[in-house]
Amino acid sequence: MGSTGSADPGPATEDPQGPRKSFRAALVSSFTERLAAVGAQCSVVSGEAEAAGALAGILSGAGARRVAGSDAPLVQRLLQPLRDRFQIADLERLSRDDLFACDVGVTTAQWGIAETGTLVLESARERSRLLSLVPPIHVAVLSTRCICGSLGDALDRVRQAASHAITFITGPSRTSDIELTLVVGVHGPQTVHVLLLEDV
Amino acid sequence: MSFDREARAALADGQLRGALRHATTLFGERRRAAIADVPDWEDARDRARAIKDETLLHLDQFLEQFAANAERAGARVHWARDAAQACDIIAGIAEQRGARSVVKSKSMASEEIRLNAALAARGIAAVETDLGEYIIQLAGEEPSHIVVPAIHKTKGQIAALFAEKLGMEPSDDVTKLAAAARRALRRRFAEADLGVSGVNFAVAETGTILILENEGNARLTTSLPRTHVALMGIEKVIPRFADLEVFLRLLPRSGTGQALTAYQSLLTGTKRQPADEGPEELHIVLLDNGRSRMLASPVTRQTLACIRCGACLNACPVYRQIGGHAYGSVYPGPIGAVLTPQLLGMGESSALPYASSLCGACRDVCPVKIDIPAVLLHLRAQAVARRGSTGTRTLLERLAFASYAAVMARPRLFEWVMRCARRLHLMPPLGAWTKWRDLRPLAPRSFREEWRRGLCDEGAE
Repeated sequence: MGSTGSADPGPATEDPQGPRKSFRAALVSSFTERLAAVGAQCSVVSGEAEAAGALAGILSGAGARRVAGSDAPLVQRLLQPLRDRFQIADLERLSRDDLFACDVGVTTAQWGIAETGTLVLESARERSRLLSLVPPIHVAVLSTRCICGSLGDALDRVRQAASHAITFITGPSRTSDIELTLVVGVHGPQTVHVLLLEDV
Repeated sequence: MSFDREARAALADGQLRGALRHATTLFGERRRAAIADVPDWEDARDRARAIKDETLLHLDQFLEQFAANAERAGARVHWARDAAQACDIIAGIAEQRGARSVVKSKSMASEEIRLNAALAARGIAAVETDLGEYIIQLAGEEPSHIVVPAIHKTKGQIAALFAEKLGMEPSDDVTKLAAAARRALRRRFAEADLGVSGVNFAVAETGTILILENEGNARLTTSLPRTHVALMGIEKVIPRFADLEVFLRLLPRSGTGQALTAYQSLLTGTKRQPADEGPEELHIVLLDNGRSRMLASPVTRQTLACIRCGACLNACPVYRQIGGHAYGSVYPGPIGAVLTPQLLGMGESSALPYASSLCGACRDVCPVKIDIPAVLLHLRAQAVARRGSTGTRTLLERLAFASYAAVMARPRLFEWVMRCARRLHLMPPLGAWTKWRDLRPLAPRSFREEWRRGLCDEGAE
């Protein structure tokens, strides 16, 4: 059911596969609603092939040239077929100047929070700290299985992994420091695009 | 009294008052909208306050637990008794590492200790990277709000400032202004040797520090440079990791009217492997600077429950008219009026407890239910006692109160005084009051006089 843009996973109650799946559908729908409210983009995709296609669409739509992916195996797999169309930077050899010259950073997110539309990144699981921050566009791949209901649930889960850096990201970078007028993309990414990956 | 003078100057500044009215009104509306969809808001306030009270009662133990856990995770913890010691520690860290370029994210504690000036005195340039703080630094001013430091500046003023300092085309397009700051600061981030940040919450049981922000500059400050120095007042500690939940519910909604700010960084020690991202060193500076004195009494202790959301500033009828600079202290508004005299002593800030109408709006919006009016009254009593011991203004005050007591104890004298006052249409001791308000016209005869002239007979019929 790969749809790009405002995703609607369908009414939860009509799901034939039992309460667990419909509960997840409700989480996905409130998560995507909150993402839209905080100014993040979202595409729901099923399976990696569709995710790679959606990623290519996001990159070319943004006119991206230089793209860097994190060390997450999923991110590497998604970027592999795109190497002939974009300059894919190698994270191991990425200098600070290269990092600042990147157009897009691609990472996964370990958790999502439905009630706030938040992405949660854990340093112990992936090297995503700078790629989710420095390039003007951040694409985050998140499995629908990893959406928590509340902030409290997410805090419980990140506590267990005990990363030295845990980052909660809710929408793009923003400021209201001048006359309380909202400006998006001041120091961090101007665009946050979530690829919400459903199991096949 | 300099507060008096500054407040008068602010009241005469139409542009300032326009900017303040716009910003504080909008903040108030956003806050109300944000808390409207939290069903257990009152309960969350009570829980947060209970956590703060619990922490402050055993602050020494929680601080030691925090320091031990932070060091176990690889951080170095420094204890600073006062502002000078904190500045020395941070400047020392910078000097030992040969750091010449420092980036800073927003920290009220660093304003409190005047860190930038201390670093500059040692030849180290510290650049503010929060957009509002950057504007203030370029203008050579001080922040006038805890959350939006440049709240007093219009975009026209900022455009002129950026044209002069950054050489950009004058523009009142806010997006272009922000983009110019981003470009200028990106270079600073790329070059910086050391990053200085504040701390919103520090978790005792894990040694974690949490920093909230919207712009991403705190993430850059705490991720890019080799060394990260986090400066925090000792009151920032909370016992448990799970306690973060209630504070993350309260702070963004009270501060900016957001359900959650764009970023929360939860940092525990340093990176575990060389290939990991992030600084190699994390130094946490615990700042006392007068805070442990406030622990002594329950009235003053609650000042330390403050989570620096700024809601009391936006709600305060005094702040809304005069803005932050008139308070002459780093922390303005109602919380500043109680915090500053306690941090710095009554000496220079004895006027601040009087910078309030005691209306209680601050107490009503405070996410941790600090009874600011009660603290103000406590500090007023201290200010009076202090004046008594030094002898200033006491003669006039003693005379006034002695006369008042004498008149009130003698009905005939009281009537005579009141008759004179009515004749002369004057209330000499209330000059400060009647200067800005019309006195209600006094009745030609007092109730007692009417009574004697026969009112008592009518009543008996």
